[in-house]
Amino acid sequence: MALSVVIVLAVCLTTFVLWNRSRSRTAPRLTRSQENANLVKVLLELEEEPREQLFTLYQEQFGTGAARYARQTYQKWKEGTVRPNKQTFRRFLLNLPHVMNFDLKCEVLRELREAYCARDTYEVTVTTDNWKQTLTPMVQSVFEKASTAELPQSISRRLTWLASDDVTVANAILAESQARETANALTMLEKEFSNIDELLNNMQGTGKVTHQLKLPLGTIILNIRKGKRDG
Amino acid sequence: MADENDDLIPPSKPLFPVTADDIVDNALQSLDEQQAREVTKKAADEVVRIAVEKRKAEYRTDRAQEEMRNLINNANLLDEKVGDYKINSTFETATGTTSVEIKKSKTNFTLIVGGLMALLLVILIFVFLKG
Repeated sequence: MALSVVIVLAVCLTTFVLWNRSRSRTAPRLTRSQENANLVKVLLELEEEPREQLFTLYQEQFGTGAARYARQTYQKWKEGTVRPNKQTFRRFLLNLPHVMNFDLKCEVLRELREAYCARDTYEVTVTTDNWKQTLTPMVQSVFEKASTAELPQSISRRLTWLASDDVTVANAILAESQARETANALTMLEKEFSNIDELLNNMQGTGKVTHQLKLPLGTIILNIRKGKRDG
Repeated sequence: MADENDDLIPPSKPLFPVTADDIVDNALQSLDEQQAREVTKKAADEVVRIAVEKRKAEYRTDRAQEEMRNLINNANLLDEKVGDYKINSTFETATGTTSVEIKKSKTNFTLIVGGLMALLLVILIFVFLKG
């Protein structure tokens, strides 16, 4: 009896140690302060116009002095040389969203999706004859991802305003946009392959062509060879 | 009894899971008039933004086509004039980046042929001396 208890305990202990080791290897855990700094950094990636709106709103809500400090330090927060404190994080990412207009909220959400939605990367060798057939399954997967992508739970749990009705609608608009952008890119790929085909057919010497297809939620690296049909 | 159970769950209305469309529909219905106006405006802005991006992307493709043709001409000119060359070029296109490497190496080819001939000669001499 005692022996079986010892064996069970040993198995449990080994499993725990292995699980813990694999967990620490796969994802280095960020501290709360590092997570906050990253979120502020993402927010400050906004284009110039929405970023200006953000600072104006910041000034309205927290006063001229706070806004001046934010404007002076923003580049350092963005570069990571200065880490924003808890109050700055709270102001930018917890308080301000409640007073942002829909447009600005959409732009903030766009940056968050850009930074946190999971992306796929594929690498595949195709010829100018068979690229469509080879790409179909990957494209379907990336297209589906563009339509259904969501922010990770860890972010949604902290930024509770993400669950509000207008942000749900904003998310749907951005997902639809990304799906349309993916579809547009794919229609243009036909013309690009025709250009590459022309290049491979008309050059002397040996050619190596690689195309990096950048889609909103994934990248497909294509190593392109000359098709047999072209001789 | 079976009929009673059937009545409990209307066939066209599953209780769970709620689809993503349902969530968005519910959210849309909960918006006030001002928010609804902002949503309509943003959706229209997005359509315009995507159309503009598409136009820019088409322009990039046309420009890349022109640049690729120039590259072919330059590579073919080099091919006529020199034995060895290597050209690396990158094009920004509508859907991403195309990298092209064109090379020709007559020196390497000559070295390989020369090496093979020398090896053949050594083997022949060896066979001749042994015989």
